[in-house]
Amino acid sequence: MIMHGYVVRRLSLGLAQIVLVTALVFALTEALPGDAAVVLAGDAPDPGRVARLRHELGLTGSAAERYTGWLLGVLRGDLGTSMIAGRPVAAFIAESGPPTAQLAAITLLLLVPLAVAGGVAAAVRPGRALDRVISGTSVALYAVPEFALAIVLGAVFALRLGWLPPTAIGAGGDLLADPAVLVLPVLVLLARPICSISRLVRGGMIDALGSGYAAHARRLGLAPRRVRWAHALPNAVTPAVQQLARTTDWLLGGVITVEAVFVVPGLGSALTGAVAARDVPVILALALLFAATTVTVNLLADIAAYRLAPRSDGAG
Amino acid sequence: MIRVDALTAAAGGRTLVGGVTFALPAGQVLALVGPSGSGKTTIGRALLREHAPGVVLSGTVEVTGRVGYLPQHPASVLNPVRRVGGVLREIARQAARTTSAAGAAGTSGAGRRETPGRPVAHRPWLRSAGARRTREIAESLVVTALGQAALPGPAELARRFPHQLSGGQQQRLVLAQALLRSPSVIVADEPTTGQDPVTKHQITRLLRLLANQGMAVVLLTHDFDVVEEIADRIMVLGDGRVAEHGPAGEVLARPRHPHTRRLLAARPPARPDTGDVRTRPATARSWSAPAPDGPDRLAVAGLTARHRSAPVISDVSLRLPAGHCLAVLGRSGDGKTTLARCIAGLHRPAAGTVLLDGRPLAPALVRRSRAELARVQYVFQDAHASFDPHRPVAAQVSRTAVRLRGLGAGEAGREALALLDRLGLPAATTARRPGALSGGELRRAALARALLAAPDVLICDEITAGLDTVTQASVLDLLDELRRDGLALLLISHDMGVATRLADRVGVLSGGRLEPLDPSTDVTPRHPPSGGPAARRLRTSGSDAHAPGTHHKEDTS
Repeated sequence: MIMHGYVVRRLSLGLAQIVLVTALVFALTEALPGDAAVVLAGDAPDPGRVARLRHELGLTGSAAERYTGWLLGVLRGDLGTSMIAGRPVAAFIAESGPPTAQLAAITLLLLVPLAVAGGVAAAVRPGRALDRVISGTSVALYAVPEFALAIVLGAVFALRLGWLPPTAIGAGGDLLADPAVLVLPVLVLLARPICSISRLVRGGMIDALGSGYAAHARRLGLAPRRVRWAHALPNAVTPAVQQLARTTDWLLGGVITVEAVFVVPGLGSALTGAVAARDVPVILALALLFAATTVTVNLLADIAAYRLAPRSDGAG
Repeated sequence: MIRVDALTAAAGGRTLVGGVTFALPAGQVLALVGPSGSGKTTIGRALLREHAPGVVLSGTVEVTGRVGYLPQHPASVLNPVRRVGGVLREIARQAARTTSAAGAAGTSGAGRRETPGRPVAHRPWLRSAGARRTREIAESLVVTALGQAALPGPAELARRFPHQLSGGQQQRLVLAQALLRSPSVIVADEPTTGQDPVTKHQITRLLRLLANQGMAVVLLTHDFDVVEEIADRIMVLGDGRVAEHGPAGEVLARPRHPHTRRLLAARPPARPDTGDVRTRPATARSWSAPAPDGPDRLAVAGLTARHRSAPVISDVSLRLPAGHCLAVLGRSGDGKTTLARCIAGLHRPAAGTVLLDGRPLAPALVRRSRAELARVQYVFQDAHASFDPHRPVAAQVSRTAVRLRGLGAGEAGREALALLDRLGLPAATTARRPGALSGGELRRAALARALLAAPDVLICDEITAGLDTVTQASVLDLLDELRRDGLALLLISHDMGVATRLADRVGVLSGGRLEPLDPSTDVTPRHPPSGGPAARRLRTSGSDAHAPGTHHKEDTS
C-alpha cells in the first residue's frame, strides 16, 4: 500500500522532470547559432531561400509557440517530422533504437554476473592477493576514459591483429546478425561499470561478511558458500543496485563516444547528427526518450533497493 | 561435556579473563555471574572457539558435540533482509541432510563405509528421494524447533522479517535456530535481558528443560532470579577472575567472597507477582485524567499507531508532569516501543497528538526544531545498534552536547567524560569503539549521550536490561536524582522491579491499550519534585513494597 502511493508520487514527479528536461533542451538548441533552414540551405545560403525554408519548416513562430506546439503533438502521440530527412521522428528512433538497446542489453547481461563475482571474490579475503589484483585492476581500468580505451582496443585488435572488425559499418540496424562487431564496443562499455560496481559489491560484502548474522550463520553449520551468496550478498548489493541504475541509464542513452568510434548507428549517433543539423524535433524526441529512461530506471532501482532493505519502512 | 582449563584472554595488554578453569557435565546448568566487562562473554565465545578481533586466547577448551549459541543481542545475529522461514528451513535442511545421511549409513550396514554427515544430495542416484526426504525432515524439524522455543508455527512466522518480530520473539527465534542442530551444549549470553516476565520465565524454564534432556547449559547473566531458578552451579567473576565457584544453593545462601556479597546485596527489590500482566484488573480510571500535580510536561492524546496496516496501539492517552516517572509495562510485541517511538517522532502515528508543555510536537522528527529534539531524548533498547561502530564511544556521546546545546567540542568532551565516569565508564573504556565495550557499558554510554542534551523528557527503553545488579542500582539512582530535579521520565520496561522502584505510576500496554496496572498502584504522586527520598516509598497493594532496593537508595542519598 505504501509502495503503491510511493510509485504514483514518483511517477508524477518524473513526468514533471521529463517536461522540464525537454524544455531546457529546447532552450539550448534555440541558443545555438543557426537553425535547420541554414543547414539545409547549404554552403552558400541565399537569404531568400533560407527564409522560404524557415517558412516551410514552421520555424517562423516564437520559441514558446513552437515548444508548446511540439508538446501538444507529443500528448497526441505525434513526435513530429524530421526537418532534415523529412521522415517521421518515430521511424527515426525505431531505426536507431535497436543497436543501442542490443549493446546495452549484452553489456548488462555480462556486467551483472562479472561485477558481482569480482566484488565477492575480492571481499572474501580483503587485503590478500586476489583482492589486491582485482581492486588494483579495477581502479586502474576505471581511470581510462572510454574514448581512449575504444581507440586503443580498436587499434590493437582490429587494425593490427585484424581479429575483429574495427567498426559496425555494414552491419545495418541488427548488430546481432554479426556478433563480431559487438565485441569491441561491449568490452569498452563494460570496462568502467564493472570497476565501479564490483568495488561497491566488495565494500558491501566486507561489511556483510563481518557482521553478526554472517558469523551466526556459519555457527549454525551453513556452508561458507551459502553464507556468502545467500546471506551476505543480499545485504551487500543495495548500493550496487543504485549504481547499476545509473549505468543502465548511461547505456540506454547511447554512449556517444563509443558509438562514434565504432560507427554504431545507435541513439548516440542519432543525437550527434541531429544536433549538428539543428533537427529540433529529433533532438527533442531523443531528450524525451533519455529523460523517460532515466526516470524509469531510477524508480525501478529504488523499488529494488527498498525490497532489498525491508527495514527502511515507508519509502517516502 | 565441557572442560575448560586455565583459559586466559588478553587484548592490547588488558587481561579480560585470567586463568579460568571449570568443567560441566551433561544435564547441568552453570551460571557465570559478574558485572559487565568481567569477561563473561569472552568465556562464552571461547566455548564457541571464537574471540573478538584483537583478543588472544590461551589455555584449553574441550567441548563434546555441537554448541548452540544465544547471543546477547538477538537482532544482531538475524539477517535483516532474509525472511524468518527461509533461514530456518535452510538450517534445518543442512541438519536434516546430515541426519538422513547418518541414517542411511546406519541401515546400509557396517559393510559400507560412509562419511558421516555427508549430504545425501551429493549421491545423484539418491537425489530425488533423498531431497524429498530431506525436505520433509526439515519441515518437521522447523515445526518442532519453533514449538520448543514457544514461537507460533511457520504459517504465521515464516513470511516475516526479523525486524517485524519483538525482541522476545527474536530471542526465541535464535533459540529455535540453535535447537535445529540438536546441540549438546548451549551457551546463553544474557538470554533474558530485556524480556518481559512471561517470556523470561519461558526461556528460563526452557533452558532448564533442555538441561534435563541432557544438554549442558552455560548461562551468562546478571539476573539472580534466573540463576536462582535454574542454575546447578554458579561461578562468580570479577575482572576476569573467578571470585567464587560452587553449587548454586551454597553460593546464594552463604556467599564467601565479598564480591559475591556485593552483587547479591544490590539485587533489585523482590518483584511483585507479574506472572501475567494481562490478568491484572483494569480500572475505569482513565489515563487522560488530569495529573493532579502541576502542568503536564508531556501529554499524549488519542494516539493510534500502525505497522503497515496492522494496528499496534490504539487511542492511548497519558500525562506526565515534570519530575514524574511513568513506567509502561507489557509483553513483547504489545506496542511499548511503538508508543515510545511515536512520542520521540520516530514513528508516524495514524492519529493523535503529542504535546510538550501544551504545544503539539510534529509527528515526524525532521519537522521538530533542534530545541525540541534536545528536550525529548530517547535511550534505545539496542544500545549496540544505536552507536556508529567506527567512532570512539566518547566522541559520539559528546557530539550530542555540541549539536543540541551548541557547546564547543572541548567543553562537550569534558562534560561527556565526567558524566560517563559517573556512570562507571572510565575514559580508557570510552576512548574505544563500541565493539570493544560490553552490552551493559554501551547501554550506560547511550544513557549518557541522551542526558548530555539536557532533556526535559527522557524515554528509556529497557534501560536496565543487561546491567549487573550494582550498575543497575547506580543507573536507577541517577535517573531518580534527575527526576527529582524535574526530569519527566517515561520508562519502557518488562521489569516490574525497576518500575516499582522508580515510577510514580505504572501502566500496562496490553492489546494496544494503556491501562493502569492496579488502582492502588496508580497512586497520586506522593511527592513534589522537591520531596525527600523518604517520601518515595511506593504504597502498592502488595505486601512486598518495602523492598531491599529502596533501602539501598536511601543509603546513597
